[in-house]
Amino acid sequence: MLDRRQFLKLGGATAFATLFGGCDKVQRKLIPFVIPPENYTLGEALWYASVCGQCPAGCGIVVRVSEGRAKKIEGNPLHPVNRGRLCARGQAALQALYHPERLSRPMKLSGARGSGSYAPVSWEEALSLLMGSLKKAKAEAPASLLMLTEPMRGHAGLVAGRFMKAFGSPHRVTWDPFGPDAMLSANAAVYDVRDLPEHDLAGARYLLSFSGDFLETGISPVHYAREYGRMRGDRETIRGKVVHFGPRLSMTAAAADLFLPCAPGTEGFVALGIVHVMLRDRLAAASAAAGRLADDLLAYSPEAVERKTGVHAHDIVAVAEEFARNQPGLAIAGTAAATGPDGAFHCAAVALLNVLAGNVGKPGGVSFPNRAQAFAKYGAEVALLAPSAESGYAGIRAALDKMRGGAFRMAILSGATNPAFTLPPSLKFNEALSKVPFVVAFASFLDETTSQADLVLPVPTTLEAWGDDLAPVGHAGAVTLCQPVVEPFHDTRSMPDVLIAAASELGGEPAKALPWRSFKDCLDKAYGGPGGEMEKALQRGGFFGESSSSRSAARKGNVALPKATERPIDVDPKAFSLALHLYPSVTLYDGRGANLPWLQEMPDPVTTAVWRNWVEVNPKTAAGLGLSDGDGVTVTSPSGKITAHVAFNPGIAPDVAAMPLGQGHTRYGKTANGRGENPFALLPAGQTYALQATRVALSKTKLPARLVRFANPEGQWKISNLM
Amino acid sequence: MTRKRTFAALRISFLPLSLFLAVGSAAAEIVPQPIAFSHKIHVTGYKLNCLFCHSSANKSQYANLPSVEKCMMCHRSIATDKPEVKKVAQYWNEKKPIPWNKVIDLPNHVYFPHKKMVNAGISCLTCHPGMDQAGTAEQKLEFGMGFCMNCHRKKKVSIDCWTCHY
Repeated sequence: MLDRRQFLKLGGATAFATLFGGCDKVQRKLIPFVIPPENYTLGEALWYASVCGQCPAGCGIVVRVSEGRAKKIEGNPLHPVNRGRLCARGQAALQALYHPERLSRPMKLSGARGSGSYAPVSWEEALSLLMGSLKKAKAEAPASLLMLTEPMRGHAGLVAGRFMKAFGSPHRVTWDPFGPDAMLSANAAVYDVRDLPEHDLAGARYLLSFSGDFLETGISPVHYAREYGRMRGDRETIRGKVVHFGPRLSMTAAAADLFLPCAPGTEGFVALGIVHVMLRDRLAAASAAAGRLADDLLAYSPEAVERKTGVHAHDIVAVAEEFARNQPGLAIAGTAAATGPDGAFHCAAVALLNVLAGNVGKPGGVSFPNRAQAFAKYGAEVALLAPSAESGYAGIRAALDKMRGGAFRMAILSGATNPAFTLPPSLKFNEALSKVPFVVAFASFLDETTSQADLVLPVPTTLEAWGDDLAPVGHAGAVTLCQPVVEPFHDTRSMPDVLIAAASELGGEPAKALPWRSFKDCLDKAYGGPGGEMEKALQRGGFFGESSSSRSAARKGNVALPKATERPIDVDPKAFSLALHLYPSVTLYDGRGANLPWLQEMPDPVTTAVWRNWVEVNPKTAAGLGLSDGDGVTVTSPSGKITAHVAFNPGIAPDVAAMPLGQGHTRYGKTANGRGENPFALLPAGQTYALQATRVALSKTKLPARLVRFANPEGQWKISNLM
Repeated sequence: MTRKRTFAALRISFLPLSLFLAVGSAAAEIVPQPIAFSHKIHVTGYKLNCLFCHSSANKSQYANLPSVEKCMMCHRSIATDKPEVKKVAQYWNEKKPIPWNKVIDLPNHVYFPHKKMVNAGISCLTCHPGMDQAGTAEQKLEFGMGFCMNCHRKKKVSIDCWTCHY
């Protein structure tokens, strides 16, 4: 039995052991460098200016670097495109930099082509494989080399273009799924300029947006979002009114004063309805051409347009009157309008509104600055540095046919646009590529396209590489410089560096065309190098000096009715009851962001869904189909079939099914794989790359997982509250 | 139980606490280091400025330890026969950092920027007295909040909580 004394003794001993048991002093180490890196102060951050490579908008960034590690990315306040702002995709570039699945060394195919099994090899072995194949192709059939990349800008484009030309192959193909081909043809027809315009939102009083989802995706979302903010809030007495026409209540539509849903692929008809009212009621400056136009427009009375589009005639008349009264006004066509069954027509109809309003080349209107003036010294080669923003769909289709015919012995792939994922599966990209005997891919990650290659060469991310860039819109000739903000983490070499080295080894024409030691050497020669202007420009992020003389002569534009083919969607509406509206995801864009967890977990601004994709349907339409919110469905088009969850969106046009793009990867790492299915699979392999050109049917299916949403819209979005 | 017994029992119960307090206040022990570096020889003997080795004390929150490369700037040719210098040379030849042991450790909830003090003209010896006469680094003062506050009050600089705790 324990007596009191023993108890106290024991208690004391226990307390002693408890207090001092963990008291062995843990010696903490202070480990200094053996050789300290340059520009390094422990505990102090450095900011480096560079360019964002997460989408083609080309925003300027500044990166905070502490102890040699990039910690945070912000917008560069001096950069004309984004003026200090940056979107979520840009912020997420850090995750691409530190991604555990990044390719750290060259890899050689170790299994069957397309199996995705690779063995690491040294750069020496990789380059000898590359050079062996290049030398053989050069000696026997130079034209059998194919280079398939995303659109490359700046001197990287010059290096790639010159390499192919000097090699003797005309087969340089670029691919961008959201390349605004239709908009370019429309601008060529209406404004006589085959280029993207600058929209002076900040100076406009009235904005008509035709599926122009410029706040979330589009050509330059950060630039447009900032200009939109200035339009709304920078002027004392003018707020600026925004009217949005489109098939779906997107983030931009939600920010508009008035959202008028229309059927997908009918935006141009709405625009012509407005033009009709402006001419009929003499709201636009009358001219002889306008008079002729009025006769052509008889078919587009507001009532006729209502039947085609679903927008009420009285809304069209009211908007036309307001638009004509509140000048300067702007009309913008977006990705959805441009990728309809007859995108060029829709874009031209929208452009016609700008011409009739007389705001081409005026403040608050549309202008076409000469953005490539900095590269004028390259003469005809300027097209390599500032390529048109065309998607290259026709080029890639032709290349696929040639691949099948065995025209190519070797293919060089590069870029984030991932054709094996973003092209309609019926084009059979992988099958065509398998006919090319040797495929080299420059990549940071294995994806659906790069995992088809025989040899994968790891490239640095934009945060580790030298380069320069010319943004597609938002400036009048600003060149952005890209510099490594951190030492490259892996044993990587950039594509221009490898091409320059290859050209020098090939000798002859290629060596003459690319006479530099490295890509950095090329940039130094182009921009004056260290000690010169380039050093200052690197601190600022580039050359941003803009002069008013840089703006090219404003064109008044042609007042002629666009050729309306009114090509209907060639699918039986009885079997496939809903028009399909595919739109780029605000987070994943064309799918390139799907391997970054930050972007996967960022809720979609409209549905608040994360980590999967969904199909948005109007609750009324869904009720007719017997579907409820959250149901699993099979989405069937004549070209393909995928599954998704239903997400109600009361702000979507009836008889439309809308899906975000970007999910449904099969070979893009563990974050991206198996999250929903790929909506690109629903697309037909038509003559044009038309995201809005098909119809689908929905049928209920049991799906294993459910759609995770940040908030349930059912609460606040009771249909009865909205209607 | 007698009064004497109760007292003895209480003494035993408080023994751990008294021992703990005794050990806790004995902070001035010398931390063992891989190399018997002498501050006295470098600072008092050769009149080297503290910032020569602790080069970021006026640039960063950390004073920083010199890199092995910096040691070797002089010790490639100076005192190369001394056993302690030979140890430095060995680290350099093997391209390994010297694993110094930490002597002064402020808790994580305090932000103490060396640069603010150094750039305000506070002598290093104010907080590190006797370092110019020391061998390897030793901590002579306790850096409690009172220590900082005394000086901040005297100099009429900020004593807001969030100046140091954020």
